[in-house]
Amino acid sequence: MEWAVTVAAFLASAVEFVEAFTIVLVVGITINWRSAMIGALAAAVALAVIVAVFGTAIVYYVPIELLRLIVGFILILFGLKWLKKAILRYSGLKALHDEEAIFEETMAEMRARGEDITQIQPTAVALSFKSVLLEGLEVAFIVITFGSNATSSHSGIGGIASAAIGAIVAGILVIILGALVRAPLKQVPENTLKFVVGIMLTSFGTFWMIEGFKVDWPFADAFIPILAAIYLLASFVLVTWLKSQKRSIAASAVGSLEE
Amino acid sequence: MKPLKAVYNFIVGDMIILIGSLLVFLLLALINNVASLTPIRPYSGAILIVVILVVLSLTLGRELRGRK
Repeated sequence: MEWAVTVAAFLASAVEFVEAFTIVLVVGITINWRSAMIGALAAAVALAVIVAVFGTAIVYYVPIELLRLIVGFILILFGLKWLKKAILRYSGLKALHDEEAIFEETMAEMRARGEDITQIQPTAVALSFKSVLLEGLEVAFIVITFGSNATSSHSGIGGIASAAIGAIVAGILVIILGALVRAPLKQVPENTLKFVVGIMLTSFGTFWMIEGFKVDWPFADAFIPILAAIYLLASFVLVTWLKSQKRSIAASAVGSLEE
Repeated sequence: MKPLKAVYNFIVGDMIILIGSLLVFLLLALINNVASLTPIRPYSGAILIVVILVVLSLTLGRELRGRK
């Protein structure tokens, strides 16, 4: 089993599951659980088919170096996107992602429609389906990209299976946690999770892209934590810089008001 | 055009990150395929790390300027 892949897939998938679960929860509470579950289950089936078809095709028909190049490139894009958002939130330049606020907002919109809440509602099914499918596609993408890069190893469990285990465990944990608290998952520090995932995606992307060019890293796989440490340190410096810039902007704004 | 924009937003949603990553990809492809550039080949990893950090700083700097 590829533990690094499982952990990375677990963390990345957990973020997506939290977002999808919030919408399903709103649909379940405000309209009915039947519609919410049908939509979510239909999306899960669609996702399983996507993973089965594309996962297998990618693993068997694409050379590993080419795959590493493409996947590394896409992971860098994903990682930088997440890292940027997390750094902006840590520095106070962007509001923290508030799951509770999203929950209240969506709930108010749905109540305003005043629909019958006992029968299967196509709107509710579609809403649940759409949210689970979109967030789930990201999970599927994470599973395929993380997993297919690890298939060159000779471990008992393949890379995609390892990544899928991480994603499934994340999904189960999010559902259990959501069922226990029966509220949007405010308890999960989403920005911290996104920040860690951003670091991991960028680190793995950097590593695999260079390997895709058939260039060896010093210390081989052991260089991945070093990459993570480099990006972590750089992010810390960037957050500090942005905070100081924000303070100077605020100070100059106060100064111009006093003049 | 709409599906293309949806894919762009889904994967990256930031032009600086996209262009910076594409440029470094092309640069690394050149370094690893042009014979006269082979002496730089062992530094591919370092080049990629530096460019990623520059791209991240540029995109964050743009966000900061947008708030000034």
